[in-house]
Amino acid sequence: MRDLAVRLAALDAEAGAALRVIAYFDRLVEARAGLQSIVRGAAVLAGCPARLDDDERRVRIRMLPTGEAAPVPDPPRPEWPHASVGSGVLWLERDGDAGPVDAMVLERACGAAGAVLDRTRGRAPAPDPASVELVVDPAASPEVRAQAARRLGLAADAPAYAMATAGGTTHVLAAADPPPPGRAGIGPPGPILDLPASHAAARIALRFTAAGTEEDPGPLVVRHAELGGLALLADHAGEPVPDVRALDHAAAAAPWMLSTLYAVSAASSLRGAAAVLRVHHSTLQDRITHAEHLLGWTVREPAGRLRLQLALALRRLAKW
Amino acid sequence: MTTTQASPVPFDPELGAALSVLAEQLPPTLTPDMIPALREGPVMPQPTDDELRRGGRFEIEERSVPGRDGDPDISLLICKPTGVTGTLGCIYHTHGGGMIVGDNRSGLDGMLDWCERFGLMLVSVEYRLAPETPHPGPVNDCYAGLVWTGEHADELGFDPAKLIVAGGSAGGGLAAAVTLMARDLGGPPLLGQMLMCPMLDDRNNTPSSLQMAGLGVWDHTANQTGWGALLGDAAGGPDVSPYAAPARAEDLSGLPPAFIDVGSAETFRDEDVTYASRIWQIGGQAELHVWSGGFHGFDGLAPTAAVSRDAQEARVRWLDRILNA
Repeated sequence: MRDLAVRLAALDAEAGAALRVIAYFDRLVEARAGLQSIVRGAAVLAGCPARLDDDERRVRIRMLPTGEAAPVPDPPRPEWPHASVGSGVLWLERDGDAGPVDAMVLERACGAAGAVLDRTRGRAPAPDPASVELVVDPAASPEVRAQAARRLGLAADAPAYAMATAGGTTHVLAAADPPPPGRAGIGPPGPILDLPASHAAARIALRFTAAGTEEDPGPLVVRHAELGGLALLADHAGEPVPDVRALDHAAAAAPWMLSTLYAVSAASSLRGAAAVLRVHHSTLQDRITHAEHLLGWTVREPAGRLRLQLALALRRLAKW
Repeated sequence: MTTTQASPVPFDPELGAALSVLAEQLPPTLTPDMIPALREGPVMPQPTDDELRRGGRFEIEERSVPGRDGDPDISLLICKPTGVTGTLGCIYHTHGGGMIVGDNRSGLDGMLDWCERFGLMLVSVEYRLAPETPHPGPVNDCYAGLVWTGEHADELGFDPAKLIVAGGSAGGGLAAAVTLMARDLGGPPLLGQMLMCPMLDDRNNTPSSLQMAGLGVWDHTANQTGWGALLGDAAGGPDVSPYAAPARAEDLSGLPPAFIDVGSAETFRDEDVTYASRIWQIGGQAELHVWSGGFHGFDGLAPTAAVSRDAQEARVRWLDRILNA
């Protein structure tokens, strides 16, 4: 018997074909079919690969017109027919002339997919601060922590990590999941029962982060694993350091001072720093001369740059 | 005491959606007066010679061979893969169509895939259809073709130890029937019987047959139409031969390994499950797959659905085991 794809491929763009597309997706919705079935339906009815990408909801589905699931090979091409589904986009990978039912397939498949996304992934998992608190609490017993991890949807045998945000909240995430956006310190991934250590590391890393503003330049996200020996400074932040006072003294002199010094400390060359700051190279040279005078040490040599980096880090640490 | 009317089994979501598109061309119910129109308007355009050749990967031939006991000659379509080295096996195919429609080019696509994958040749028999030819004409044609194929293994170029019968729907019933005949009448030894949603029981009174009336594909009434065409008034009565309706066989011992699949939402579900169970109970080998939410012939009508792909793959895996394990 001839299959559905062949039957529909033979149809023209007249009402009959459109009605069949409508009937197909209506039935999928009625039967509460999942996203794979919907994307597969779009691929089969349109006769070309179809994909649904929704980074926010971490959905990535691609189907071939044979019904086979196929991993996403390349980014979508803007000229392909597409339509939005909430924060995601449904694409028909159609090169050349549009197929007779492309528009109808997109419309109906998006409607069906939107309903499923709202039903199943409409909101982020309900926050469960009590379980998060337990899972990172070194004083809680391993059993209690394992239970809390299960409640948070973490697999018992998969690595996870903790993340501390500037707002004071803690997140625990599977190692495979990227951190949500925003200023945060990230602990190293490891076994579920090591999450208290990951959390302690995340809180240290958070203290090395900055707001990313002119007054507080620096990285928004810091991973503890990338701090190296710098992490040891966190234990000594309370002690007054003359170089931090020198930085504050310099900062009072010009609004560009701290962002300029941070750019110089972080870029691999002065030209690179000038590009980041969007100033002319000679302007930067003038600023540095001025800054070095206020600081009392040169920042153009490796040793001076390290001293600057340490001073900037200690200044951030002193704020927490 | 009241009995509750069983509700129908819901279709798999993708299959239900496909059915809503197919419904206008493929009504669930079929009455005898619809047979001529069904044969005329090809629901299923048949593959041409060129399509069967698959760009030279097969050579095809039509052979006319003697019918059984003086019956008219029958035609066998033989498709032989060209690029295969080593000894071929053979699939002997009895096509479907409710005993009343179809020809020996129906349903070959998936089988040619098997042939390429496993090094098999395909022999598909053109048997006479009911109601013009009632039982035992159709099954005798199928059996005569099988005997001829088995006896000409050398000439055709396949290993007679690798002969498998296969068919879907009515063709599944016919494949089961020629397997019984081969056992009883000293026919060719068979490596296996592949029965895809087979039509086995003329009594048409199982729970699944009643439960799915008016729904899906090939419902209770359509089944009545098919069996009535083959058996006339004898359908459902006391004296039906197992070679017409294999479910009637009292002895299912001594059969080659069976592969049986069926949808949970179709007329044939219960008779197919029973057939497999009876084979096990007598000490035979059968592999049974009941696909959830499948209507009759789902994997052919909606081959892209996830459950259809799983069903197709299960057949390939069984073939791999009986041919290569």
